[in-house]
Amino acid sequence: MKQLPLLSFIFLSAILISACSSAATRGSSWPGLTADSNNVYLADGQFIYAARLSDGSKLWQYPDKAGAQQFFAAPLLTPDSQLIVGSAGTDQGLISLDPMTGKEKWSAPFTGAKDRWIVKPLVINDILYAPNNDGSLYALKLASGQLLWSMSFGNPLWGTPVTDGKYIYLTSLDHFLYSIDPQNQKIVWKVDLGGSATSSPALSTDKSTLYVGSFGSKVLAINDADGSIKWTTNTNAWIWSDPSINGSKVFVADINGQVYSLDASNGQNSWSSIKPDDSITGSPLSTSEGLIVTTESGSVYSLDSNGKVIWSASVGGKIYTAPVVSGNRVLVAPLGAQYLLYAINQKDGSMLPWHFDGK
Amino acid sequence: MWDLIILNPFTNILLWIYNLIGQNFGLAIILFTLLIRVITWPLNAQQLKGAKVMQDLQSDKEWLDIQKKYAKDREKLAQEQMRLYQERGINPFASCLPTLIQFPIIIGLYQSITRALAATPLTLLQLARSIYPFMNASTIIPLNSHFLWMDLGRPEGLSFPGGFTISFLPYGFPTLAIIVAVTTYLQTKLTLPPSTNPNDQTAAMNSMMSIYMPLFLGWLVLNYASGLAVYFVTSNVLGIVQYAMMGRVNWRNILPNRNQSMPSNVKKSK
Repeated sequence: MKQLPLLSFIFLSAILISACSSAATRGSSWPGLTADSNNVYLADGQFIYAARLSDGSKLWQYPDKAGAQQFFAAPLLTPDSQLIVGSAGTDQGLISLDPMTGKEKWSAPFTGAKDRWIVKPLVINDILYAPNNDGSLYALKLASGQLLWSMSFGNPLWGTPVTDGKYIYLTSLDHFLYSIDPQNQKIVWKVDLGGSATSSPALSTDKSTLYVGSFGSKVLAINDADGSIKWTTNTNAWIWSDPSINGSKVFVADINGQVYSLDASNGQNSWSSIKPDDSITGSPLSTSEGLIVTTESGSVYSLDSNGKVIWSASVGGKIYTAPVVSGNRVLVAPLGAQYLLYAINQKDGSMLPWHFDGK
Repeated sequence: MWDLIILNPFTNILLWIYNLIGQNFGLAIILFTLLIRVITWPLNAQQLKGAKVMQDLQSDKEWLDIQKKYAKDREKLAQEQMRLYQERGINPFASCLPTLIQFPIIIGLYQSITRALAATPLTLLQLARSIYPFMNASTIIPLNSHFLWMDLGRPEGLSFPGGFTISFLPYGFPTLAIIVAVTTYLQTKLTLPPSTNPNDQTAAMNSMMSIYMPLFLGWLVLNYASGLAVYFVTSNVLGIVQYAMMGRVNWRNILPNRNQSMPSNVKKSK
């Protein structure tokens, strides 16, 4: 009994220091969304959820009970009907799930990486290219998760790779955009972006130009054949999110909350004062009506081609990650809101009559 | 408020040191801890002085007499103790106040290291907003978090050449956890105040603390970013150095089965 005060002190210290070290699991989360025509898949905190788009009812969750896993990366739906999810927890596993049941498909998760998975991988044919926070790009057999090769870039990789079918384009926190030939695992070229890049490049529809933003507060258009810079446009603050291409326009948003509409041919900005209510870290989403942007203050905006607000909706909490569209629904996953997932009518911004709370 | 006054300035000083010394974050943590120790040196000294005065009082004849005389009358005992404090010019809170002032500084130091390491998207975003404009954050990020064999942003695990690890451990060889536990044990043992009273509950608590605290910090280091371990080790070593410079270290306390001894400059009451 004499030890009770001391044990209480140590217990309280453990709670205090743990609280200082990392916020509560959901509080430090970074929700990621993916949807097909019927279902939505949400990576949030310690779980992956699947829910029906028709009514928001839960299909399954993975894992059944919270463990060492934590999920930041948006789930990836592959052409052969797998749902690939990467853990940002201490297990550092890359896992294949059955999108219908949430059961694991590979015989075991891939655990060969040295750090957490921050973003979703890329699939080309039957190979998965997965960037990891340990600075390496891992190539795995899609069917089994077996490691084929890995390439080290030294610094954390937080951008999903993109491809033109032949080469892989990959950003790194080391300030560079890399063009990689996956056939021989060689770097074809690399371009200094003037700052770290957490986003993926956007590839033009003719696959000739890559558009990418960086913490150097600039957007660059890069010739994908040789890495030469076509144009550079400065922004007022860091670019965290992916650019979005719509016709001849490239849309980007900075972390101060300003939205830019850049001419794809010369980088000229035609929206000089479009600034919704808060910081933007979720990638803007081009739609047939214009652009959907989400802000940290939990708001969703639909903008027309002139940047005029068509509608706005507030879901509460903080929205850090990109919205997705499925059918006429805009789906957003805020952090710290009443529900994990909200569905908004894309036409008028009205809230659809369901919310997903993970239960 | 906390961010504005403590966390942001601390984070920026840490990053400024990091830039100044050629982008070595491990060395930056060590120098920053040293800087904080130097700044809080007068507070530590005051705390030690206050603790010593209170300790000397515990073995004072008059103090012991009133404890015995008013053992059953707590109110009277408190009055007599206050009288004695006033007569001797002792402030019973003199050793507590410096500790209270240091507490937010230590928490701020700890949090600034965690924030600067920015291991998740949310913490990187927080870091981006913490960095003062003149620091040119885009050149600082990503931080070079490699120091000796460690990645300071991740829990430490030392793999031996050839990829050999200890199979029954979920970690690599926990070198840092051991160093943190050993230095914490040494610091606690070496700086334990002497006690002449066999029934002294504080001494008993201190003795238990010297066992539990190293284990607790070792466990923390196994599970959190190894940058924090660098801070713990530096802080422990500097703590021992400071006590030694003030002549308050009991070197014989680290030997097993020895009674706690007085430091060289402390005389037993007769």
